[in-house]
This record gives sequence, structure tokens and C-alpha cells, in this order.
Amino acid sequence: MVFIFTAISCSKDFLEPQPTSAVSEEGYFKTDEELESGILNMYDGIQGTNDRSTSSNHSIQYEFYVTEMRTDNTRGKGAVDSDADQAQFVNYNIRATNGIVADYYRSMYNIIYRANVVLDNLGVASDANRARFEGEAKFVRAYAYFNLVRLYGDVPLVDKVIAPLDTEISYTRIESSIIYDFIEEDLLSAVANLGDGYKNRASKAAAEALLAKVYLTIGEYSQAQTLCESIMKPARGFSLESNFKDVFYNEGNDEVIFAVGYEPDLIKDSQGFSSEWLNAVGYTAGVNYVTKEMRDAFDQYGGDRTLYSIRQDVIQPSEYQVAKYIPNGDENLGIAPIASDPRLAGNDWIVLRYADVLLMHVEAILAGAEATTSSNAIASFQEVRNRAGITTTVATITKEDLLNERRVELAFENQRFFDLLRLGEAQNVLSAYATENGYNFTSTTLLLPIPSSEINLSKGLLEQNPGY
Amino acid sequence: MLYKKIFVNHWANLMPLFLVAMVYSCEENILPEEGSIEDLTLPEANFDFSESNNDYLTYSFSNLSSSATDFIWDFGDGNTSTENEPEHTFSQEGDFEVSLTASDKLGVESVQTKNISVKEPEGPVIFIPEILEAGFEAGTLEGGAGDGNDAWAIAGANNIGLSTSVVRTGDQAARIYMGAESVAYQELTVTPNADYRITLYYTLASAPAGGHIRLAVLGNTIEDASEAEDAIIASVLGDDQTSTFDYTKLTLLFNPGASDTVALWLDSNNIAEGRVDDIMIEHVE
Repeated sequence: MVFIFTAISCSKDFLEPQPTSAVSEEGYFKTDEELESGILNMYDGIQGTNDRSTSSNHSIQYEFYVTEMRTDNTRGKGAVDSDADQAQFVNYNIRATNGIVADYYRSMYNIIYRANVVLDNLGVASDANRARFEGEAKFVRAYAYFNLVRLYGDVPLVDKVIAPLDTEISYTRIESSIIYDFIEEDLLSAVANLGDGYKNRASKAAAEALLAKVYLTIGEYSQAQTLCESIMKPARGFSLESNFKDVFYNEGNDEVIFAVGYEPDLIKDSQGFSSEWLNAVGYTAGVNYVTKEMRDAFDQYGGDRTLYSIRQDVIQPSEYQVAKYIPNGDENLGIAPIASDPRLAGNDWIVLRYADVLLMHVEAILAGAEATTSSNAIASFQEVRNRAGITTTVATITKEDLLNERRVELAFENQRFFDLLRLGEAQNVLSAYATENGYNFTSTTLLLPIPSSEINLSKGLLEQNPGY
Repeated sequence: MLYKKIFVNHWANLMPLFLVAMVYSCEENILPEEGSIEDLTLPEANFDFSESNNDYLTYSFSNLSSSATDFIWDFGDGNTSTENEPEHTFSQEGDFEVSLTASDKLGVESVQTKNISVKEPEGPVIFIPEILEAGFEAGTLEGGAGDGNDAWAIAGANNIGLSTSVVRTGDQAARIYMGAESVAYQELTVTPNADYRITLYYTLASAPAGGHIRLAVLGNTIEDASEAEDAIIASVLGDDQTSTFDYTKLTLLFNPGASDTVALWLDSNNIAEGRVDDIMIEHVE
């Protein structure tokens, strides 16, 4: 009897001993430094892998496919009726088997997993660091969920590290309103636990700005306004760069609130999207090319921003490229090469910046109405326009004005798709654009399909979105 | 139960088999053709709608139905459409029951109905608060109460004085006098983000020189006068000492931001004797 009792009481160690010659996740986290490496691991997940393997998580390096290329801002250079994965986003014939759709879905859940690892091990953190660790992990988790819920609709809610056999959690789609409650809770905790200072990591301002966008998405305008005004206080130290070019080519500037950092020429820390947007510099012939509609928008509303937003393709002069993240320099624009190999680009990816906050402030005051004359809204709106050299003031801001301003200010920053959704114009604008260009738009393409690979693994437990 | 034929067996066309099928069909059930399977994906109608940007009468409809090929939209106003995702303009305001009938090629139908309330959006209503004892007259509070400065008190400071001499309108004005360090404070309910203008009239004695009064708006309410300085969101000084008896107009623009409560604040640098009268607030278009 005594023997049996002993065996049970130490069964965990006895049956699952911690390996002494290798590092495993379970048992790894014992100190603040080790937990800190878990934190960096989350940002590594957001960075994504810079390669062409279809099984890698490319994360936000592929985000432009599932956001910007689905709008009237950009397209591919290939045939419009192609069934290639990339072309499906342009012609709106997205299939549940699309590899990029699966890649992004997988990547976001991988980021969530990495955040959950940190949160599950908070117990080992010192009192001095626990709040910051918790805040960073919750910011990252909320960021991934916010992307998922806007792109895929109802999604599984994984709030802890789960085992492969936890299929109930992995394959049960949770109503998006509950996902939004979860995101709000995580971000409120991040706002409370974080301070300012970091730009490539989570900060209080980043959490506030992201939460403001969440509130705008769910129609909580007054709360969004308060958060924007908190970031807009001069003491917080954020401001617009006086030269639009410096926003993108002077990294870590005062305008950046949260950016995903990349390092040039390092396979593990570089990004590949910058080269894909050029003419056959990356692995594609060129994707995320500027549409005619977008060039028209810049002619009308761009001001000084146009020069550093779009440029003519020197090889194919009828085509125009994105000029915000050029990896290999441009002498005419005074942009130095950032990497010696453009496929290993080091241009940071800006997720949140001050101009976005100012325009969110306008949107919060607009509060779902068609127009506003509030001087507060006009001041924020004009601050963004002044920097672009458009100094004539307006007396009224309509929803359309705001959409146009956001379109050119935040062009190619993967904002347009979400802006159209949030302001209720996605169907109107995109169906008109699709008709004009011979694409096949239906409103159900506004939600991506749940990847068929996930549905197959779930043995039918996961339900597909309508239209797929 | 309905069945979808997925495999055509030509032998099934032979008469004997056909007859057998007929015999069975006399029962309640329609039995499947040979080589067919049950249709497990029945049409399910579902849709969403959104009001157009510029025209409140026009709605665009998004079709969220599954396993359906044909659609009939009934907009509840006598109009119909068979488009996949129609846009419809209602002729007038009202409540409409919009239904979508989705069907497949087996004739199975599913219906979804939603109510749309078509209504012209109201313009924003800007609330104009009433300033109590705005002219510092006695008996103007509820039930004829008040000395003229009772609505202006705040803890931590002397309440502003009253005077019956050098008055702009009525019988009384607020009195600013040297060394008294008195202030006036009153909370107001406002519409967030609306632009307002406060106007008042003041006069300061021509000597001693260097006097001024200050009109300010506090972005939030305060419990004690000592909190006022940090809460100021807009302020203006009145320092016209050209005439002891002629009133000067002083205006202050403010916007409460996200807040729906602000407070008026009035003080002076306690150098010159003065008067304040006839405060008013209006919305600036």
C-alpha cells in the first residue's frame, strides 16, 4: 500500500520527467529572462517567416494579400481571371483551399499560442515585471484576434495553451461579439499594465490605439474618442513627422506607435513583402500593384504624399508600384537601399501611427453620422492634411471625406479593407469597383473562408462561412 | 424527404423497374432513384442590409444564403427582384418586411424575413444648457429662490459678490472687488464635440491699472476651487479698463470634446473693482 501511495504522489515527475539534456517548453520558464524570451517569441510570430515554403507561417508578410489586394487600392499584374492563389483576392473568387488564406489563419493562431504560453507561465515572473509581461502578451493576443475576427468572422476562442486533442476548443466557432468582448478585456488589461517607450513592442499607446480601433469597429465611439485624446496629449510625445517620407524611411520616429521590426539581410529577421511589390525583384512578377482607381484618388486627395506613396514602374511604365517600403533604394526619391539583398528587406511594418490616431479621432466624433462640423474633428483632420500640403480648411467632414483621407494617408498599410468594413461602405465601393473591372464580387467575399484544411481536420465540426 | 440524383443509371429507365418504382410510390414516401443520395445541404436563406451613404431611402442587400441557386427578394412595398444582391430604393419612409426566398434546382425553398425601418436620419441635436442666475438677479432660481449668486458657489473659495450699482441689465450684477479673491463656478450639461460660444459683459475700474477678469471653461466638474486650474480647457482674459461704467463684451469659444459636462469659471487677479453681467451660451454652427 505504501508503495502505491508513493507512486501516485510523484506520478507527474515519474511518468513525465523533465529532460535534462534538452530544453522543453514545459519546465523551461523559470525566470524573468526566460519569460522575456517567450515575449520576444511572440513578436517573432508576428514577424513571420521570410521564405517561400507553403508550410511556413508568413504572418503579416502575407497580410497585404488578404487585405489590401481585396480592395480598390491594389491588384496583381497577372491575368484577372486567373485561379492562382494570389489572383483570387483580386477577382474575388477566393476558394476555401487558398493557401494564403490558410497561412494567415494559421499564423494568427500561432501568435495566439505564443502569447498564451507567456500568460500560462506568468506565475514565475517577478513582481516587478509581471504586469508588463501580462500587458505585452495580452496586447499581442488581442492584435491577432482582432485580425482574425475582422477577416474570418466567428472564430475559435483559444485563451490558454491547448493540446492537439482539444478539438472542442480548436474547432468551435465563437460568435464574433464574444470575441470582441475578449479582445476588449485583453486590451484594457494591456492599457493598465503597460507604459510608453517601445515602438517595436507593445506599449500603453499601442494598446490604447488598437482598442480605439476596436471600439470604432463595434460602434463605441465615445470610448474611442477618449482613448485617441489620451494619445494626443502632448506629454505622450507622439506627433506627425513633418516630411511624409520620414514616416517610412526614418524608423522609430515620433509618429510610429507600433511597428513590427525587421532587420535587413538576416533570413530570420527580414521581410519579403517589400521585394514582392517590385517588378520581379521578389519571387513573383509583382503583386500589390497600384490600381488606376488608386492613382485617381492620389491625384485628387494625395497632395505631397503622392510622391512617397506610388511610383512608376521603370521596367513597365504603364504600371505603378508602392513607394512606402522600397528595399533597394530610389535615387530620384533620395531613398537609400535598406538591404543588400532586397528579398531580405529590413523595412519595418507600421501597424499603428499617429496620423491613424488623428483620423480615428475624427471618426469617433463623426460617431456613425454622415457628417460633422465639430471643431475638434476638423482640427485633427486638418493636422493630417496640413502635413500633406493641403492647407485649405474645410467646414464639414463627411464620411466620404474621411474615407478618402484615410485611403491616401494610410495607402498600402492594409487599412483600406477594414476602413470600408467599419464605415459600412465595403459592399457599395467594392461591388462598383468589381463591376468596372470585370471581377465577380458578392458580399459574402467580405469574409474569408475558413481554410478547408481546418474544416477537414475538424471532421466537419467547423462550419464554413456562407458563399464558400 | 427529397433526394438529389447524383448518378444516372440507364437501367433505371427500363419499364419493369419503373413499374416497381410506381408501386412503391403509392406509399407516402418518395423513394430514391437508384444511385442517388439524400440531399443533406438544403438551401438556407439569409441576408443582411445596409443603408446607402447618401440616400436614406436606398438600401443594398447582401445575400448570405447557402446551398441555393435562385433568389426572390420581396421588399415589402410591392417590389421584387431576382438578382443575387439587389439594391432597392423605397419610395417613402416606413417599416418594411423584406423577405428573401432562396431555392435550389430541386425546388426546395427557404425563406428569411427581416424588418427594415426606413427613416430619414435626424440631424444632430445640440443641447443648449440654461445658465442659472445668468444675470445675477435675485429670485430667478426654482420657486423664486436665490440671491443671484447661489448657483455659482464652489467649496474652497469665496462666492462671487453682488452689486446693485453699475449694473448692465436688471437690478444686480456680479461684483469683482479688490483683494476678495472670489470666484464663480457653475456646471453645465452640453453635447459632446459641439462648438459653443460663451458671452458675457464686464467692466473694470480705470484704476489701479493691471486688473483683469478671467472667464474659463473647465473640461470636467470639480469638488474644490483648488482643482480649477488643471481642469481649464479654454479661457480668456478681460482687461479693458478704459471706462469704469461702460460694459465690454467678452466671448469665449469652447468644445467639450468627449465630455457631456463642463463648468463655467470666473475669477480675477484682484487688482481692480469690476462687474460681470448677462452671461449667455450659444451653439456655434
